[in-house]
Amino acid sequence: MNVPQYDVAALRRALAEDPRTAELGVHVRIRGDQLFLSGDVACEQRRAAIAEVVTEHTDGMVLHNEVHIVRAEPPTEQEDLR
Amino acid sequence: MIRVAAVGDVHLGVDTRGTLRPSYESIAEHADLLLLAGDLTRLGTVAEGEVVADEFAELDVPVVAVLGNHDHQSDAEDKIAALLADRGITVLEGSGTVIDVDGTRIGIAGAKGFGGGFAGKCGHAFGEREMKAFIHHTEDVAEQLRTALLGLSADVRVALTHYSPSADTLRGEPPEIFPFLGSYLLAEAIDDSSVDLAVHGHAHYGSEAGTTAGGVRVRNVAQPVIQAAYRVYTLEPVSTVPE
Repeated sequence: MNVPQYDVAALRRALAEDPRTAELGVHVRIRGDQLFLSGDVACEQRRAAIAEVVTEHTDGMVLHNEVHIVRAEPPTEQEDLR
Repeated sequence: MIRVAAVGDVHLGVDTRGTLRPSYESIAEHADLLLLAGDLTRLGTVAEGEVVADEFAELDVPVVAVLGNHDHQSDAEDKIAALLADRGITVLEGSGTVIDVDGTRIGIAGAKGFGGGFAGKCGHAFGEREMKAFIHHTEDVAEQLRTALLGLSADVRVALTHYSPSADTLRGEPPEIFPFLGSYLLAEAIDDSSVDLAVHGHAHYGSEAGTTAGGVRVRNVAQPVIQAAYRVYTLEPVSTVPE
């Protein structure tokens, strides 16, 4: 039986446990035949690796890779906790 | 005034070598020290640890770190801690350090921490040995953190963990996974120890600001939350706060 909730769980497990990704913080949503990925990763190669792993575990779904690259510029302000 | 810079969850790997360093070259203009709140690597390999050392060693400010769960993935956490220490980065695990900033002593006690959940919605050391081992690990690291905090002889105290001591800074995460993101036992240790600021990472979808139940300010500096190289928080010893 094809149950989207189990498919989401299987994909999140693959993204966490596959050493090519090791990503515990990628959200996976399935809506009909549309598959959406979201979250933040450190670089473009990791964003591509996520799509690669997900594609290996899905068939016939339209992938929307909405994962972003985390910003890492120095801050422009500080928080005063005095 | 002490300027504390902090970031967690940088998840460095051989594929990101050299990408962060440029953002830290001028850190002394903004901060007096840098705290790293764990998950410094992606797979926890020694090779990734060497990338971390290359990114953060020999900055113009002292660097103090704890490790996170990703840094334990390859069972090389001790080797990673040792190589970071060899490069001048202080790695805390149930221990503390004191840094002198222009005559003001800032004490940092740190530990990875662990999960278990928050008061009233948490696991207990009961039943299967796996469940007892889970909770006992949290109890052990919380007690080590408490001992390290109480042992600090300092004007300003900061608690540094990877896992969260507060549910406040998990807002945005699914409540069902809070027990895997932190523990109130860490907050109890912090609230017993005259802490000025608690800093953690781990919760990528959480919120930056919160408090412990005892009123200590907590900041989640996971890089996906702060979306910057680091955050800077200014602190003042209580005795020098102007009236």
